[in-house]
This record gives sequence, structure tokens and C-alpha cells, in this order.
Amino acid sequence: MKRFLILLLFPILLGNVSAGSVNQIELDGSVGYRQVGIEMVLSEPATNGTYYEIRMNDSEFSRTEDSLLHSVIIVGETAGLMQPEMGDWYDDCHYVLGDDIFVPIHRKSDGTGVVPNGTVSIGCTLTGIPSGQEYYFAVLTIHSNGTEVISPVILSSSTTEDTLVAPLKTSPYLFAIGSISLSLIALLYGLRWLDYRDGRTTSKGAHFYIAPALLSLAVLTFYPVIYGIWLALTDADQSRLGEHVFVGLENFFTVFSTSGFLRVTGFTLLWTVVNVVSHISFGLLLALALNKSGLRGKTAYRTILLLPWAIPSYITVLVWRGMFEPAGAINDLLGTDLNLLADANGARFAVILVNIWLGIPFMMMSISGALQALPKEMYEAAEVDGIGTLGQFRHLTLPNLRSALVPLSLLGFIWTFNMFNVIYLMTDGGPNLDFDGPGSTDILITYVYDVAFRDGAYGVAAAWSVVIFVMLVVFSWTYMKRTNATEAVT
Amino acid sequence: MSSMDPIPRASKSDLARRWYVPQEIQSLRAYYPVVIFVASLSVVISIMRGNEDAIYSSMCIVFVHLVLLLLLRQLDHGTKNIRDGIFVISGIGLFLSILHHLDGPGLWIDIWFTTWMAVPFLLVPVAGSMPMVTLWVSGRLTVKAAELGLRMNRVMAEKHSHALHHLVLLHAVTIVALPLLWILDVAVSPGNSLGGGFMDEVTGEHFEKLVSSESFWLWTRNSFIVSIGTTLLGLALAIPAGYAFSRFRFRGRDPAMFAFLLVQMFPGVIILVPYFLVMKALGLLNTSLGLILAYSVTALPLCVWMLKGFFDTVPRELEEAALVDGCSQTQVFWRIVLPLSLPAVAVTALFSFLAAWNEFLLALTFNTSEEMYTLPVGLASLISSTGQAWGDFAAASLLVSLPVVILFIAFQRFLIEGLSAGGVKG
Repeated sequence: MKRFLILLLFPILLGNVSAGSVNQIELDGSVGYRQVGIEMVLSEPATNGTYYEIRMNDSEFSRTEDSLLHSVIIVGETAGLMQPEMGDWYDDCHYVLGDDIFVPIHRKSDGTGVVPNGTVSIGCTLTGIPSGQEYYFAVLTIHSNGTEVISPVILSSSTTEDTLVAPLKTSPYLFAIGSISLSLIALLYGLRWLDYRDGRTTSKGAHFYIAPALLSLAVLTFYPVIYGIWLALTDADQSRLGEHVFVGLENFFTVFSTSGFLRVTGFTLLWTVVNVVSHISFGLLLALALNKSGLRGKTAYRTILLLPWAIPSYITVLVWRGMFEPAGAINDLLGTDLNLLADANGARFAVILVNIWLGIPFMMMSISGALQALPKEMYEAAEVDGIGTLGQFRHLTLPNLRSALVPLSLLGFIWTFNMFNVIYLMTDGGPNLDFDGPGSTDILITYVYDVAFRDGAYGVAAAWSVVIFVMLVVFSWTYMKRTNATEAVT
Repeated sequence: MSSMDPIPRASKSDLARRWYVPQEIQSLRAYYPVVIFVASLSVVISIMRGNEDAIYSSMCIVFVHLVLLLLLRQLDHGTKNIRDGIFVISGIGLFLSILHHLDGPGLWIDIWFTTWMAVPFLLVPVAGSMPMVTLWVSGRLTVKAAELGLRMNRVMAEKHSHALHHLVLLHAVTIVALPLLWILDVAVSPGNSLGGGFMDEVTGEHFEKLVSSESFWLWTRNSFIVSIGTTLLGLALAIPAGYAFSRFRFRGRDPAMFAFLLVQMFPGVIILVPYFLVMKALGLLNTSLGLILAYSVTALPLCVWMLKGFFDTVPRELEEAALVDGCSQTQVFWRIVLPLSLPAVAVTALFSFLAAWNEFLLALTFNTSEEMYTLPVGLASLISSTGQAWGDFAAASLLVSLPVVILFIAFQRFLIEGLSAGGVKG
């Protein structure tokens, strides 16, 4: 019925068409997994300065504001622009100049497609269209004089099933799990027998009690870890799973030669250090404020201050993302016109700010606990000696909190280093996403996630994981060493 | 010789008078840098808004505050002129602040800025005209008065410190509450886009839509299945292990306990990719069972350590008596230890339930088909590249987090104790 209506509308639309507009599109959902092919036929050869916007939505739309922009193609000068081969870009596009030869589209450095003057038709493979879901597509032509023409809105869906991922053979995994379980059971049995032989009476059935927990730990944690280290040495990826072979340290070379390796590591360190330092200092400030004896409304304050910890973090992070939107609360509150998330440094600032907000309550409560354990007599003695509040803080509170602050900061360090949710949900690594490197706000673990599940390069991702793990161990170890060393001096 | 004597023999009256500075002045001197910081922030905001008049007026106000701070530091006994100068400058500052405010858009944040900038101009003259301060600056302070003043200072210092604590906490509470109030506003505003004034239109359309939508209930059901499964399986694994670690001394105890600690050190990321492949090979992707297995093992170390800590507090004598009376070890565990530590088990259960209820990364990776989404992934999918349904998301967030927050607040003491037992020691 809808198609019929569109056909009826067709002549009417045709009447409005000015030179070089897209007035006819054809869609093909069978070109590939999560892809829809689109063919745009121009009414007349294209002229410089015209824009084509491919727009889509999951419900039918009549106004462009109700749809989402998939990609933009510009008619303009193509000299000096790159021209990626088929398969080198997210969307494969080509154009026809009039001689029926398909030419790969030109790309500006930001990825916008460019076709030359005189193009008569353009074809594109639109990627990222979820399989099996229906979407409406249309092409909006914006002429250099500002007039807009929209093509008919046509329904299509990506029908190709996911054929890239080969089914995995189950038997090697079952074999590994089985042998791990059996050897662990044998080990526990042996230990039990040794205890029995020695006549220990304190261990009746103990091995039986811990067996289930230990088994699940071995199978579901230690086994994946070891398997991950093995994966890092193979060429496993989405299309060659199950047939992957040992390639030595090749994946590690890939990791270290990634453009932006130093940048993403640097930002991860900045992210971690700024966050942990702020968590501890604000946490300490609030814990001290709450520690005041005889303060009214203490319970109410504490309960409200705990909320960022109590509310699921994915919710608060998305709420903050909304607040940072141009129409969000931050601009309403400040009376400004910012779009922080669209700017690299602004987005970095925003994600750090949100994570600081999220992490303070945990530190506040932990430090509160440590503060309450400090002996009151110490402060009474200081009071008698006429030591002021600041002096008490510097010479009594801080040195005595050290033993709590050192492990807390280490814990905070590991957690923040691995904080996936905030960056994934706020910016997904954006705003500037590279094709073979980390985005502006990517930290190591969000980038590894992209390598594994966006690019499907499991071997490389596993190598990244190993590198990250080694970094974490080295940092933690150095930190422990240093703090212990200074402890010995003071 | 006498002229070189650096310390004149102070009489008792000199001592008391030299020590005495009214607390009002001391507090103002100590807190004034914060006022100057906030006033400078107002300059930054004006620059961000691109309002030139506001930039100049706020810079003037910062300057006036700096002058005031300088004069406050010069204030001493016998400096009545400076005190009078302070009065005049405060008046100018107050006038400037009012002008600055009237010129601005008068948003909530402007009211906050004006309060921070103008109230000191009121507080300083009020403090400066207190009887003790007047006496002090006039230089006619007697020894008796100075001693009285020192005693009053102690009481006043306590009052001022209370005010400071409230001030700090109120600011923190506001910063915490802002996003929550905002999401409440978005949830009851009509339409799915952002913007509009605070609470200017109220509607329940998003809640109605959610309650009648199939996917929300599907996600809720999935989340419940996964969380309850995790809790049950996690407890079934953790209770015996925690009990064994608490009560028995056996070969392999220390290495096993170390293994549980070690796991907590592993960052989730190192396991994610191999985990995904193992789950894929076993056909556990897009099932609840896969997530249940993964979650119960992730939470296991913490649960074992929490439970071990709780079992340690159950007196051993009870068990020994029962053993003497002829109970078997199993009976002792089921009939005596477990009932006694039921509250602790409940807290551990709550902990694993909440952990599973809120987990995002594994759910996102493992369960990619929409009918297997848990609430976190489902809610996040409302705000994605193909559509930003802010109103629906806000309403769903409120529905999902309310029970969690209530549980968390109700059991906060136990949860925090348990976490610090397992987390910080680990």
C-alpha cells in the first residue's frame, strides 16, 4: 500500500526536480551482512556544490528532521583526494560519469565522499544497518542555491545472515575444560589423601567444600586467561576462527606499531591519575566534612552523597551524556552554547569530570571508615597543645591515614584504568574516530573492545590485553615499591 | 644594649592584646580566597558566554574583593581608618554585584554567583561593626576585654566551622543532585528530545509507554533471571568455600586462598576476548546461562572473602558442642552455622544480585540479540546512533534504579563493610 502511494507521488515529485537531484533510488538488502546497497540515479548530470544526504530511520518519515543522517556525498573537485579501493572503507561507493564505467568514490580526509561534476549515478553499500530490521531510506539533495529536494522514502532491510563467523568446533574447548577439571579434582583428592595419611583432624571434608568454587574459578577464569595468552600468539580473527595458527609475536608488533599507541597510553595514564587524585582529594574533603562531631543532618548528607555509587553507573553516565548535549542541562545551567562532546579536548574533559563524579562516594565512605578508626585522644592531646585544625590535619590525620590511602589508591588505580562504561557510553572513543587507531577519548580498554568486536581482530585484541595487563602489573608493583620505600624512610 | 633587646618585656596586658584577633576577622581572612576563586569563575563563565560587559563587571568585582582581602589582612588594633575604608569599599562592591546581576540573564547559576560575590560585601561590614571588633580597631581594648574576647573566640570558631562544613556539604549535595533532578525532569517532559524549562510541562506518557512496551518487560525478565541465577549459583559456590577457609586447616589452603585474591587483580579486559570465544564455542552466547556462569564466577572471590569474614565471627564453641553431642560436620553446618550467619548470607546475596543487575560490559558482549538484552544493555540501546529516546530512557532509568537505590541505602552499612573486607584487603 505504501509503495503504491509512493508510486502515485512519484510524478508529483518529478515535477519539482531541478538539475542534478536524486529523484530515484533503488535499494538492495542482499549485498552483505549488515549492509544495504543503494543506487541513486540523478535527474541530470551533477553540478559542483550540490550535497546529497543519505537519510534513514526505523519508522517512515516525511520530514528530514525526523530521520538520521547516514552519510554525505558532495559534488566537487576530486583532484588530489584519496580514492580507496573497494573494501578499504566502511561504505564502498562508486559513481558513473556517463560512460557506464564504475569508478570508486573519492574521499576527503574526514571521510566525506566526493564525486566530480557530471556524475549521472552513484552507488553505495551502506554499512551498519542491523540485520533483519526494516529501515526507511531517502536521499536529500541540497543544491548550491539552498533548495532541497527529497527522493521517495523507500523501505528495505539487510537480509544477509552473518556468514563471516565460522562455527567454532566445541570439542577442543570441552577437552581443555575437561582436562583442567579432572586434574584439579585429582589434585584435591591427592591433597586430601595426604592430610588423611598425616592424620590431620582439622580438615575433614574441607577439600570437598572448596572444590566447586575452585573448579569454576579454574574453568571460567584461569582457563580463559591462559587461552587469551595463547590467542595473542595466533592470527585468530572473525573470519578465521577455529583455523587460526601460531604466528609468534606478530600481534605484538601490530600493537606497538599502531598509530596512536603512545597517544592512547598517554591519555589512559592522564585519565587514571587525574581521576584517582581527584577521587582521593574530594573523598577526603567530604569524609572530613562528614566526620565533624555534632553536625546536624549528617545522615541526610551522607545518604545523598552516596547516590552516585548506589545508582547503576550505566544510567548516570548516560544521564551525564544527555546533560552535555547541546540542548542538555549544562548549557541551560551555564547559559552558554557549548558542545563539549564534539570537541576532542572538551570530550576528554567531560569524560574525566563524569568519572570523578562517579568515583567520589566510594573513596568518601572508605576514608570515612578509616577516619573513624583514628584514636580521639590523639586530637584531644593536640588541642591541648594548641595545634590548629590545619596542623592537626597535616601532622595527625594524613600520616595516620597513609596505611588506608595506599591500598585504596592502588585499588582506585586498577579500577579507573579498567573503567569501560564511562567512555564507551559517553563518547564511544569519539569524537574523532580513526580507522586504524584509537579515537580521541579512547583509553586502552575501550580501544581493545573496538579492536576485538568492531574489527573482529581477536588475536591482536588478545595481544593488547596482555600488554595492558603487563602495564598494570608494572605500575602497581612500582607504586607498591615506592610507597613502601618512603614508608621505611619516614 | 637596651635598644638592641629584640623582645620587649611584655606585660600581661600586652600579651592578651597581642594574641587577640576577633574570630570574625580570622574566619573572613581564612575563607576569603574561596570567594575570590568563585568570583574568578564568574569571569570565566562570562568569557564563555561572550558577554563583554559581564566580563568587565565581574573583573571589577574580583578586583574589589582582592582589595578587601588586602585590607582585612592589614586590620589590627588601632586601625579604625582601615575599618572605615572597608565599609566604603564593601558598599561599592555590593553596588557593583547588583549591577552585574541585573545585567546577566538571571539563571540559577547567576543567583549562585551573585550570592557568593555579594554576601561577603554584607558580611564584612556586619563583622566589622561588631562591638568587640569596634573596640579592637579603636585600640581601646582592655586586658579584661581581650581575655573575654579570647574566650568568645573559641565558641565562635566552633560555630564558624559548623557553617563551613554545612557549606561544603551543601555544595557537594547540589552537585550530586543536579543530574538526578534533571533526569526526573526529562522523564516527565513530553517528547523524546531535550531542552525546555525545568518542570514546565508534566506528563506521564513515557511511563505509560514503558509499562505497555514489550521490550522493557522482556529486558526486566532477562535481568531478573540472570541476577537471581547468579545469586543462587554464587551462594552455592561461595558458602561452602568460605566456610572451609574459615574453619578448616588443610593442605593447599593458602594457595587456594591466594588464587581467589589473584583473580580479583585480573582486569576484566584480559578475560573478555577469550571468555567470548569460550562462550561462543560452548553455545552460551545469547543465553541467560552464559551470563549467570560468568557473573557468579566474577563475584565469587569477593563473596568468598566476605563470607569467610562473617563465618570467622560465629563462635566455634557452639559447633564443638554440637560435634560432641554427636552431630556430623554436615549437620553442624546446616543446622548451626548457616542459620546463625543468615544475615551475612543475605548481604552477600544482595551484593551478587546488585552486581549482576548493574553489569554492562559482559552483557553487551555476550548477548547481542535484542530479545536477550538485560536492562543495562536495553536501556543503553535507547540512546544509540539510530535514535535518542531521552524521555523513554529517563523514565526507564527511574523505574530501574529506584529499587536498587532503596536496597543500597537500606543495607549500605553492611555492603560497605563487606566490600572493604573483601576489596581493600585484597
